[in-house]
Amino acid sequence: MTKPPIDLLQGTVDVLILRTLAWEPMHGYAVSRFIRQRTDGVLTIESAALYQALHRLERKKWIQAEWGLSENNRRAKYYSLTTEGRKQLRAEAATWKTYAEAVFKVLEPV
Amino acid sequence: MRRFLRLPRRSSSRLRADLDEELRFYFDMRARELVESGMAEPDARREAVREFGDLEYTKRYCLAEDAMSTRDDRHTDLLAELRQDVAHSWRTLRRSPAFAAVALITLALGIGANTAIFSVVNGLLLRDLPYRDADGVVRIWGAYANTKRDRGQLSPADFLDLRDGQRSFSTIGAFAFGGGTYLGEGDPVRLAGLRVDANVFSALGVSAAIGRTFVAGEDSTAVAPTLVILSHGVWRRVFGGDSSIVGKSISLSGRMRTVIGVLPPAFFFPTAGEAEVFTPLDLTPILRDANRTRKYHFLGAVGRLRPGVSVEQGRTELVSIARRLERDYPESNAGITANALGVRDAVVGDTRPALLVLLGASLLVLLIACANVAGMLLSRAVSRRQELAVRSALGAGRARLVRQMLTESLVLASAGGLIGMGLAVWGTRALVASADTMLPAASQVAVDGTVLATVVLVTLVCGVVFGLVPSLAASRGMHTALKDASRGSSGGVGRHRLRTALVTGQLALAAMLLVGAGLLVRSLSRLQQNDLGYTIDAVLTFELSLAGERYATPEGQDRFYDELTGRLAALPGVVAVGASGNLPMRGGASASFAIEGKPHVGDKLPEVGYQPVSDDWFKAMGVPLTRGRAFGPSDALGAPGVVILSESAARQFWPGGDPVGARVRLGPNPDIPWLTVVGVVGDVRMGVAGDPRPTAYVSARQDHWGGMAFVVRTSGDPMALLPAVRREVRAIDRTLPVSDGRSMRDVQAMQLTDRRLPMQLMTAFALLALVLAAVGVYGVMAHSVAARTREIGVRVALGAQPGNVFGMVVRQALLAAVAGLTIGLAGAAALGKVLTTLLYGVTPTDVATFAGVAALLVAVVLIACLVPARRAVRIDPLQALRSD
Repeated sequence: MTKPPIDLLQGTVDVLILRTLAWEPMHGYAVSRFIRQRTDGVLTIESAALYQALHRLERKKWIQAEWGLSENNRRAKYYSLTTEGRKQLRAEAATWKTYAEAVFKVLEPV
Repeated sequence: MRRFLRLPRRSSSRLRADLDEELRFYFDMRARELVESGMAEPDARREAVREFGDLEYTKRYCLAEDAMSTRDDRHTDLLAELRQDVAHSWRTLRRSPAFAAVALITLALGIGANTAIFSVVNGLLLRDLPYRDADGVVRIWGAYANTKRDRGQLSPADFLDLRDGQRSFSTIGAFAFGGGTYLGEGDPVRLAGLRVDANVFSALGVSAAIGRTFVAGEDSTAVAPTLVILSHGVWRRVFGGDSSIVGKSISLSGRMRTVIGVLPPAFFFPTAGEAEVFTPLDLTPILRDANRTRKYHFLGAVGRLRPGVSVEQGRTELVSIARRLERDYPESNAGITANALGVRDAVVGDTRPALLVLLGASLLVLLIACANVAGMLLSRAVSRRQELAVRSALGAGRARLVRQMLTESLVLASAGGLIGMGLAVWGTRALVASADTMLPAASQVAVDGTVLATVVLVTLVCGVVFGLVPSLAASRGMHTALKDASRGSSGGVGRHRLRTALVTGQLALAAMLLVGAGLLVRSLSRLQQNDLGYTIDAVLTFELSLAGERYATPEGQDRFYDELTGRLAALPGVVAVGASGNLPMRGGASASFAIEGKPHVGDKLPEVGYQPVSDDWFKAMGVPLTRGRAFGPSDALGAPGVVILSESAARQFWPGGDPVGARVRLGPNPDIPWLTVVGVVGDVRMGVAGDPRPTAYVSARQDHWGGMAFVVRTSGDPMALLPAVRREVRAIDRTLPVSDGRSMRDVQAMQLTDRRLPMQLMTAFALLALVLAAVGVYGVMAHSVAARTREIGVRVALGAQPGNVFGMVVRQALLAAVAGLTIGLAGAAALGKVLTTLLYGVTPTDVATFAGVAALLVAVVLIACLVPARRAVRIDPLQALRSD
């Protein structure tokens, strides 16, 4: 961990969760751990923000929740991507890419 | 990973518990991770909570979000349930195609019949008339006390006195029959029409679609013969929709007239029959002849009420003026007053009672159809009790089950309504096509938005009505259903009573419809059996109207008629040829009647029917000559005037004596010469429903009407003769159109249309009702036998004979039949009055009809319960007792 973690905006949290759940249905703890490991600890989502996002996305019907059994046989709430959520992910990923490329074009010569 | 069921809808306490569990899981997992990385247990827990962030806020946030999604879910759940119910209903219906087919046909017929009748009612009774502020438009008539006619015509002088003496109307216009023969490039065409004064169109509030209508002064002698207005229909049909027609000249009855306007497409004149051309009506020549002004009744009138004046006020004023005229001119006006009706009532006229009766009848059919489907659903509900019980046990609430069954009946109703709609479109077209003489303004009748909306409503109401009762009945006592799955269980008693009540109601309604149909059938057959006084088989009729210079003189007309009569008589198969002023089937003219040397009593001369006839007319019509002689060529103009009387006229004026040789005068003019009675002929009935009328016949050689109605008696098919007739007429004068070529039978059929159509529809409805009721009886009896299998088995085991079992079933059905008949016949007797205007020669409580209906209904019920009764007889007691 050479650099300090970056604070994330709400919209960014949403798209990361959607992308994560695109792999497979997970419970909240698994989502947070997955993002942390994937970004080598660069992106850390505060758990409070994560859970707020999960419930918000569920209300928007981009993800849905089901009770399931966890690895250690405990009851856990599993979230999975809905068709609508998948659509949303595709759209936001495209926006993000365009945004990042534009930012890079300005920063590149440094 | 295993999954549980999708989360069901959750209460707020449940939401809170779920959230707590979800977060506890997180903290446990996170703490364990921290412990694994070397932290002590209590520290790990604290650290997990600390690094989480604002826990309290997160909880509130998540709960608010969850509450919102739960609310959303409830809506989508309802929609999903509905979709699920519809899909389930569809599957259920497809699983029992016989049930679905019978139910659908039943509903389609009921809804279709209603829609068709309603679209006619809508088009005629409810829709806007093609007049500006139609509520202010009034038809005005003369009312004749002696003949009880309250829609008679007015004399010119009476019309002018009424028009100028009243204050209720802003405008009153007069019209008279007109029309003419249009001679264009092809064959001559006879165009029906009216002569109208300059006020008629402004009274109606109608402007021309192209050009203009008549303006003040255009009905005066100077311009009257030169102008014409066309209806939209004739403009399209005869003149090819020529948009530059206004200003052009057309030849009408040998006279050139300038077209000044074309009327709007929706316009129709508020009289019976079609009017295609309108020419100016000029009253001045008639008003010059003092003898005719009050005695020749040939005018119709329309008025427009001043704002704020009611039809009744207008009518009262006109009647009071007519009363004054009665006192001032007793000789001509005794017994004649005035009458006025709003134009809508005038247009719909006699059709209204028939339409309302038919609408009522179709509603009864719909009721029976609903009762039938409700009955079928009740039976089905019994066999579906287990299915429902299982669903109930799986957590479906009663409301949910009722909703599901209602959905099912609505799906059924909608499908039935859709098919019914198709039937209605077809039926309305057929109805209008077969009823054009009965329905004024038939062109306005179509299935439109109002009708569609009504059908949708009727369909939904049907669905709810026949769905609610069975579903409530089925969902009740559902919990016991799983426990006692046996068929013979007693749970069906109340339900069975409900079904019996439904069938009784159906039989009652069917009985009412059958009585109505029976009365109409008997009326029509009375009418058809009426002795008309002449034979109507193998007779061709057609009409000719002479126009042009050649026929300006009586001799010219005689020459034409003699030549045509000779040519027609020479055609193969022709037995006799005659012509008269009017076909008696269509009514006729009348004249006052004075006898030489016999002063009449009272103010007014008696009236008799009046008919100019050709020499062979009596022979062609088959009217027997009972005394004296018929007319011949010697009774020409200039020869002594002759007259032939009908038997009833002879009886009335010479009781017990012989009129031959006596001298009489026809018409009010004291200056015309006396006519000698030369013969007496059999009575002829005027119209099809009228009475034989005392009639005076004069020779067509001594009274020339210009137009004549021909009758040609043949030895074969009269219609086969028509082309030859046209050929002969054309050979003499190619400008003369032969119009209304029909067999006398067809003329009679047309006259009976307005009676036949309600009769046919009523009969169709009644038969439909009978079949539906029979299906209902069969259903309830079959179900009852099935439900009582065990009981019947016990009875047979205890020694009941097949006859006993058979009788038991039949008795049960007959009980329902008798109950239904009692209610139905009582209802028919109570409602019979509405039929009065449609009946002829039978009373609304005709005993024979009632008895016939009772017999028919009982017979049908017996047939309907035959199969169930036989099934009951065949029940094997051993099997019945062993089963379930």
